[in-house]
Parts: sequence; C-alpha cells; structure tokens
Amino acid sequence: MSSNHDHAATGNVTKRHKVEGPKKHIVGFVLSLALTIIAFAAVAAGEINTTFTYIILVGMAVVQVFIQMAFWMHMKDRGHLFPIIGIISGAFVVFTMVIMAVYWVWW
Amino acid sequence: MSAHDHAVDGQLPHEPEKATLQARNNILGFWLFLGAETVLFGTLFAAFLALRHNIGDGPSANELFKLPMVFAATMILLTSSLTSVFAVQALHLHKKKAMVGWLIVTILLGLSFLGLEIYEFFEYVHEGHKFTTSAFSSSFYTLVGFHGAHVAFGVVWISLVIGQVLKKGLTVVTAPKVYISAIYWHFIDVVWVFIFTVVYLMGKVG
Repeated sequence: MSSNHDHAATGNVTKRHKVEGPKKHIVGFVLSLALTIIAFAAVAAGEINTTFTYIILVGMAVVQVFIQMAFWMHMKDRGHLFPIIGIISGAFVVFTMVIMAVYWVWW
Repeated sequence: MSAHDHAVDGQLPHEPEKATLQARNNILGFWLFLGAETVLFGTLFAAFLALRHNIGDGPSANELFKLPMVFAATMILLTSSLTSVFAVQALHLHKKKAMVGWLIVTILLGLSFLGLEIYEFFEYVHEGHKFTTSAFSSSFYTLVGFHGAHVAFGVVWISLVIGQVLKKGLTVVTAPKVYISAIYWHFIDVVWVFIFTVVYLMGKVG
C-alpha cells in the first residue's frame, strides 16, 4: 500500500513518470485477438476430440483473462497489491463454488 | 492541498486519477466490489454449468448458437475494451477531447454489442428457446442477460461521466471517475471472455 501513496505525496511527479505509449495496449489487444481466434477456430474445425477442445478453450480463456487484467486493468502497475488480493479472494470463492456445483450435479 | 488547486491552475498531476486519497480509496473500494462481482457471476456460471444439458423439449445449445454472430459480438466488445484503455491514456496525457472521443467510441461499440445481443435473444425466442423452456434456457438467459445488463449499465454510467467531464472539466475529482468506469468496462469484457468460452464454444462442442 505504501507504494500507492508515494507518488501522490511528492508534488512534481511528472518527471519521474514516463508517459506510457499505446504500444503495450495494442500488444495486449493482438494477443487477446489471437487467443480468441484460436478458441473459435478449435470449435469451428470440429474435428478435435471433445475433451481436448475443452482444455484448449479453458486454457485460452484463462490466459486471455490474465493478459487483459495485466495490460488493461493496470494490474501489473505498482500499488495494486490490495486489488489483487480482492480479486483473488473473489476467484477463490468462485472456483470453490463452481467445482462444488458441478460436482453435486454430475457425480 | 484541496482537490481544486490542481484544476484551477491547470496543473494536473501525472496520474490525476490517483492524486487524492479519496480517489485512491475509491479505486481500491471498486476493486473489492469487482471481487464481489466475480462471485456473483461465478454463481451464475456454476448454475449454468450444472444445468446446461437439461434442455427439456427445447433446442440444444448446438442447434441454437451461431458462431459468426458470437464472434462478431466478441470482436466488438474486445475492441471497445481497447478504446476505453485509449481513453485512460488520453487522460494521463490530459487530453480531454481525445479522452471524451474514445469514451464515445466505447459507448457506441457497447451499444452495438447490446443491439446484437437483443437481436440474438429475439432469434432464440422465435426458435422456441424461451426463458421458461428448460433449465438450460433459464440459466442461459440469466447468465448472459446479467452480463448484458452490466453492459447497459456501463453505457449509461460512462455517458454520465462524459457529461460531468464536459461540464466540470478534467480535474482530480472527475479523473478517477473516468478511470474507474474504464476498469468496470474491462471487467465486463473479462466476463464476456468466459461467457463466449463456457456458454457458446463449449455449447457448440457439446
């Protein structure tokens, strides 16, 4: 949290910060685009076996979510410890819940 | 140093959205809210995953879903996420006009996504996939509809933020609002990544 306060407490911050270019966001966009297209292509091709397709789909989705959170939601910037804790707590509850629901119904 | 000092002399700090303690607390609080939103959507995903094969007399996911339309919707939302991050960059450069411009593009893309979704739901109802048709259809409409409602809310929210920025200018008070609404918009896009994967693509696979 302390890093969160640092840059605001000092008055002239402009010099210490480099203004970020659009480059990394475009990289994030292209990566997301590629992952999306791979996922759709895997389904559209329709000749891969079901389990393997599921693994591809979930893999692509998880990677894409990490990319989007890091690049676009600024999570890789400094001072994001508490947001990360917040989201991880949410994700923890979600995975427990989804796995339990599916387990109850299908096994 | 009051919030107004920055704006009056035209010297916005480099990251105006994090210049005040209030703003940093708002952003932190918003992240905790997103943690709760994750749980909300998680429950809906859990229900959908549990019920998605219970189609009753209605059409199956494989018969219903058309990949090109879902792909188009995905591209629209993905692009809108990019344009909203451009708005935040313009905010960092203190370019108010460019920022408002990107936000408007984001809203327009959000609206076209909603239009596509409404058209899609109309189609499904015509094909006998109504809310009460089966456990699959109920959980489908609840999950995807909830996401659509979030998009609609985001469109209204960002419009209001634009209105306020135009009225009050870019200050350390309005900047965090732009930043937080952009974070919200990305979150909607992240949820959609799971929806197109779990609902549509897995539905197509079987």
